[in-house]
Amino acid sequence: MQSVKVEITPPKRGQPDQRVEFPHSEGEVSVLDVQNMTVVRSGRVIIRDIDLKINKGEFVGLVGPNGSGKSTLLLAILGVLKSKTGTVSIYGHPPMSRKLNGKIGWVSQAASNLPRDIRITVRELVQLGTRNASNMFFWTNSKQKELVDKAIKMVGLENVENTDIARLSGGQRQRAVIARALASDAEFILLDEPLVGIDRESRNSLLKLLDLLCHDEGKTILMVSHDLTAIRQTAHRMIFLEEAIRFDGNTNDFPDLNTLAKLRGIEPVHSSGDWNEHNHSKEEE
Amino acid sequence: MGIGVFILEIVAPFLEFVAPIIPGETFPYIFKLEMFQRALLAAIMVTIVAGLLGIFLLIQNLALIGDGLAHVSFGGVAVGVVLGATSPLWYALVFSITASILIHELQSREILTGDASIAIFLTGMLALGLVILRVSGGGITTEIHSYLFGNLLLIDEGSLDMIAMICIISIAFLASIRSTLLACTIDPMAARIQGLPVRGIGLLFSIITAAVVVSMVQVVGTLLVTALLVTPAATAQLIGRSFRSCLIWTQVFGLSSVFFGLYLSSELNAGSGSMIALVSAIVFGIVAISKISYDYVYQTNEN
Repeated sequence: MQSVKVEITPPKRGQPDQRVEFPHSEGEVSVLDVQNMTVVRSGRVIIRDIDLKINKGEFVGLVGPNGSGKSTLLLAILGVLKSKTGTVSIYGHPPMSRKLNGKIGWVSQAASNLPRDIRITVRELVQLGTRNASNMFFWTNSKQKELVDKAIKMVGLENVENTDIARLSGGQRQRAVIARALASDAEFILLDEPLVGIDRESRNSLLKLLDLLCHDEGKTILMVSHDLTAIRQTAHRMIFLEEAIRFDGNTNDFPDLNTLAKLRGIEPVHSSGDWNEHNHSKEEE
Repeated sequence: MGIGVFILEIVAPFLEFVAPIIPGETFPYIFKLEMFQRALLAAIMVTIVAGLLGIFLLIQNLALIGDGLAHVSFGGVAVGVVLGATSPLWYALVFSITASILIHELQSREILTGDASIAIFLTGMLALGLVILRVSGGGITTEIHSYLFGNLLLIDEGSLDMIAMICIISIAFLASIRSTLLACTIDPMAARIQGLPVRGIGLLFSIITAAVVVSMVQVVGTLLVTALLVTPAATAQLIGRSFRSCLIWTQVFGLSSVFFGLYLSSELNAGSGSMIALVSAIVFGIVAISKISYDYVYQTNEN
């Protein structure tokens, strides 16, 4: 992939900013196309003027400080939140369209996601991912069983597939949730903070898994995280979001913290930067 | 001939066949006399469907919705009795379904989350029932008493048909939609993104819960509905290790509580509904204590 030259002129806060266009080579399959999206919630603009194109096989990391609208963007892309202006098309269809059944996988924080008053095995959980509007009244058939087997194998949970998820570690549980998203044979996978609450080792193997899904299985991945180090290790392309897209480009060109501060329209207070992710990444290194 | 009577005709020979080997002095009569057979059949059907519902209610943290809807049904029964209805349960059905739809809407629109909406309907409709009974001059008669605490012997052919219809439709629905309902229950957001009509399924589930609660009112009574709806499912959670095993354990605990409760109530001449509720609570207690001590022993051995 070509690297892009990043031109940064610090914008004033609250004004439209310069953006780096990611080069899309001709003939690539467009997975996601967001145009001019603005989302307003209870009178407050959460994200504005979002233009975003993602092609097949890309691994896109979406970063930004807390409350910058990362999750809002994901939910608006998925059609769960209505945007005030703009259009979203996924594989050429509007979100929530029936034609997208089974094409989109969604993974959120596992620990806070699943209720406690339930006994359910990994296999049973993954099986739920095969359900959509067209097969909701039917029992699982052999083709769906195959998909479930494949998904469990892909995330490497074959040896615990009949174990109650409550007995798994945080990392394993997160893998089970990813397998559920894969069980529909989803091609476009959106992850919202999948690395929260799991230990470092599971985090690394999870990132490896995502990398594998992207390279070997040809999945398209959009991952939200505030773990800058983790995203830098795996994503091809990074987007820095704070109300609007402040940076969009190759991971190698992701600006350092001082430049980032300028992009955000704030004067760096400390030379080393005061963004908590930076401290976090230092610890990791 | 309704569906309930039809089923009864099928199972009656079997019940009469097992009657001689049933222990106790009065308990075998439950299998012999038609009046008691009706009661037994109603209790079994209601228990099966209540167990299925209970698991999903526990996951949603809605253990008390059964109690809430039962009280709403009581309000409906009271209105029906005062209006001189021959089968006041139909009033209860209308009241209960309306309330469950409203509660579901209040919760899914996040106007009132958690138990607050249930509490409002519970007290409001119970109060309506009591006020109407008092104003009409009836007060708490034997009939009303039987709706409060359940009276298996009041189940006539009409009630049995109604109970059977509700239970069969509910079981068929829950069995066919089991996985989808589970997906919508444990992670509504993921289910919605997968393309499942989470709202519609939630609404249907609420309506079914309401109907099942009404069918339970005659068996265990308004005040004790939760005993069959939640207790067996909660007991199963303690020892089950998968969703499927929980489904099976729920039925084991539910049905054994009903049989043992009916046995004790006929031998000791105690109320059937309250005895079933008491037995299911005791079963829960025994299983919980065994599990705690088992875990304790197991863990100390491991260390």
